[in-house]
Amino acid sequence: MLLPKFEFHEPASIQEAIELKKKYRTDARLLAGGTDLLVHLKKKLITTDHVISLLRIKDLGQIKNNKESVEIGACVTMARLSESKVIQENFCAIKAGADNLGTHLIRNRATLGGNVCNASPAADTICSLIVYQAHALLESTDGKRELPIESFFMSPGKTDIRDNEILTGFKLSIPGKNCGAHYIQLGKRKSSEINIVNVASFIQFDPSDQTIMNSRIALGSVAATPIRSFHAEKILQNKKASESLFYEAGEAARHKDCKPIDDFRGTADYRKAMIGVLTKRTLDAAFKQVQAQ
Amino acid sequence: MKKIINVTINNKPCELAVESNQTLADLLRYDFGLTGTKKGCDTGDCGACTVILDGDTVNSCLVLAVQADGSMVETIEGLSNEDGLHPLQKAFVEKGAIQCGFCSPGMIMSAKNLLDKNDNPSDWEIKEGISGNLCRCTGYQKIFEAISSQCSKPNSDINPNINQGGPHGKI
Repeated sequence: MLLPKFEFHEPASIQEAIELKKKYRTDARLLAGGTDLLVHLKKKLITTDHVISLLRIKDLGQIKNNKESVEIGACVTMARLSESKVIQENFCAIKAGADNLGTHLIRNRATLGGNVCNASPAADTICSLIVYQAHALLESTDGKRELPIESFFMSPGKTDIRDNEILTGFKLSIPGKNCGAHYIQLGKRKSSEINIVNVASFIQFDPSDQTIMNSRIALGSVAATPIRSFHAEKILQNKKASESLFYEAGEAARHKDCKPIDDFRGTADYRKAMIGVLTKRTLDAAFKQVQAQ
Repeated sequence: MKKIINVTINNKPCELAVESNQTLADLLRYDFGLTGTKKGCDTGDCGACTVILDGDTVNSCLVLAVQADGSMVETIEGLSNEDGLHPLQKAFVEKGAIQCGFCSPGMIMSAKNLLDKNDNPSDWEIKEGISGNLCRCTGYQKIFEAISSQCSKPNSDINPNINQGGPHGKI
């Protein structure tokens, strides 16, 4: 398959990149890992006159630990995320997603920014970013903008990025003690798979009486964008953790929060049933983490 | 518009002009005649075009040639030397891990990179390490045995249970 012709730009700084984006706007596509963009260009699903590669911009490939928060550059690859100590220690749900995306060959190229900008409802990193309340960092010649990741997605493939903006990274507050989180994906096989459903859960306990102070649950592949499961979260609020409580939360997510469709990967009913199972399992795993602390 | 790039392929530095829409796989095959790097799906699914780019395995069909500027590329042709085949290549021959041979270069590059980073991977890590490479002759067990034989402490009791689970996020 031949790639169509395009003009290739390789800016060395964010400033250069946003000026190029301002100049070409929708005529230009941003290239990070290329594991989706180059496939779409080869298959002629999209066309573009200009490709702006972001990989030479050093700032975008870094994970910065600011003690209370972490900034992950948009061009950090899945393999780098999996290896990163600060991610392993504080954001294990993101690591679980990064460990499982595509194949190891894809993970060496695919970037967090690319996965988010593709805005697939089945994306492997988005549910985890939602439960950690990540903020997307956007930059244009007009200045910088920060958006909560939850309000970043409009529909499959569509995000709230403006034509002249570039996603530079994500900012995440480091969860304190008494917090646990986990992410599980369900596919038909273990590698190179698009998820049937995927769930991330985060819980924070009150250390004095072991009740759940705070929880966030995000469901993937069951709506046009990854969604929060507010009914399930409400069930957990101020209750003592137990297996039956987690089951109840899973059932709420299954029956009240998800609106999946039937497709060749799975039926809507199967997806709903699995949302119940995965919600419970991610909560179980998150609880075990807190107990082990 | 062509762009001049400097790239080191199998330890040989070269400078050449490439088209912006040319992939690294095409550069290796058509400009350098290194046809050991195969093109299967051309969309990053099959792993036949696996090469090692700056120490990491990549699908060379999904890397632009211009992106390899300043990089080191290792292909299957770089493994053997005047003494003969690389031990991993020998193991593939000895264990019968080759049928039609189309996936072998990619499979061996993935395996080499795995063993370069970890000379004693577990059974699970070996399977995970070649999970991006498809073999349509279904010879995975022998490929697994060939790689396993090259670990620093080869596991004589090879566990054929291909479904054993991974460490994270899988059910």
